[in-house]
Amino acid sequence: MNEEVKVVHAYTKDLLVPIIRRVKTYLEEEMKIDVFNCSEIVYPKNIHLKRNTIMIGTSGSIKLIITLGYDDLLLNKLVEIFTHGDNIEDIDTNEVKNSVACEISNTIIGNAINNPIDNSDIYITPPVLVSEAKTLYKDKDSKFVYVSLVTKYGEIQLTAVGPKEQFEDELEFKDI
Amino acid sequence: MLKVLVVDDSLIMRRNIKKYLTSLGHNIIGEAKNANEALAFCKENKPNLITMDISMPGMNGLEAINKIKSINKYFSIIMITSYGKNNVVKTALQEGAQGYILKPVTEEKLYESIGKIYPEYLLLEEDIEEVKDL
Amino acid sequence: MLKVLIVDDSLVIRAKMKGFLTKLGHSVIGEAKDGKEAVTMNEKLQPDLITMDISMPVMNGVDALKQIVETCNINHTNIIMITANGQDGIVKDALKIGAKGYILKPISEEKLQDSIGKIFPQYYSEECDVLDENELDDMLS
Repeated sequence: MNEEVKVVHAYTKDLLVPIIRRVKTYLEEEMKIDVFNCSEIVYPKNIHLKRNTIMIGTSGSIKLIITLGYDDLLLNKLVEIFTHGDNIEDIDTNEVKNSVACEISNTIIGNAINNPIDNSDIYITPPVLVSEAKTLYKDKDSKFVYVSLVTKYGEIQLTAVGPKEQFEDELEFKDI
Repeated sequence: MLKVLVVDDSLIMRRNIKKYLTSLGHNIIGEAKNANEALAFCKENKPNLITMDISMPGMNGLEAINKIKSINKYFSIIMITSYGKNNVVKTALQEGAQGYILKPVTEEKLYESIGKIYPEYLLLEEDIEEVKDL
Repeated sequence: MLKVLIVDDSLVIRAKMKGFLTKLGHSVIGEAKDGKEAVTMNEKLQPDLITMDISMPVMNGVDALKQIVETCNINHTNIIMITANGQDGIVKDALKIGAKGYILKPISEEKLQDSIGKIFPQYYSEECDVLDENELDDMLS
């Protein structure tokens, strides 16, 4: 148990922090949205995921699940900017929102992911939408990490859950 | 104008890339949302250029490069990836891709990577000189 | 120096054009990304010159040209069409409607300078001894 705590703490500093930084720089530089607050990194017993949450897994020597969740207003703003303010009548609004959330999450995590353990490549899975709010419950073999970043349009919630073996094939969550 | 096939599993990325390429004066002759669709398209059509995402469900973009080049070695491929730190880019170029773009994708990045493969599409003499020096 | 309105849906091309025009000593007073914006901005800004891409969404360059020429004095309307290969027929139409010149992509500073020079001879070439108005006045008095 102690060993796992050590590993997750290493993940936090060397893996999660670069991702947090990239969330900030992506929002500020690419989307011109200021991040005016970043919460402490906490290790909760359970996490309530936002409605618009994207889940990405890692494979290679690091096995984690990372989620990025977006408040509605913030996501709407991101969609507006990502689509250059164009009128997208031919595609379903929800499909567009999901597509943008997936793409932004994939960009942020892909840009920032690095392997603090050895130098081997970490691969990330294509992004998956968690379409209804879900609560993740921690069991004794997993550790949750949570941080949130605040903008004037709302929050981005970043979580990491490991190890990945805790989750079943279809990315459903095990209750305690 | 180049005849381009856009390959990406993301709806919004296909839309944006098509828009940028069209603005730059190229002709989108097809789009595919996975590697299998891309291969099927390449067997029947002749794109000069293929833009291809690396992470896609099913066969990923890296595996597809070789297969596409086997259909026609003159198809140029620009890989699109979010991986900032991986060897994935090196592998892609070894597999036969002509260029790559690190996400986020912008019209500027597309212009530059197309310009490296097809200098006649560059707009500035100095851009052309830079490419010749490479 | 000319006051120029750049019309093109490509961000990259607008930026490059702005660079060329600035280098050639002109002032870019506006940028439009489609024909509709071009018509509105032309009315508002009254540029000396418009560089107009042909293929654009919402309203293409030729339709925008038509609208501008219909509502403004054709002698004061100086529009250079920017065209891609294979658009010969469209370019001919544009010239008939009232465009004063055209440039074939890829655009270069030289091509721009040449087409501007054909409409405004005082800008034709650095090599020529181009006198400004005051110098000309001095010479003639």
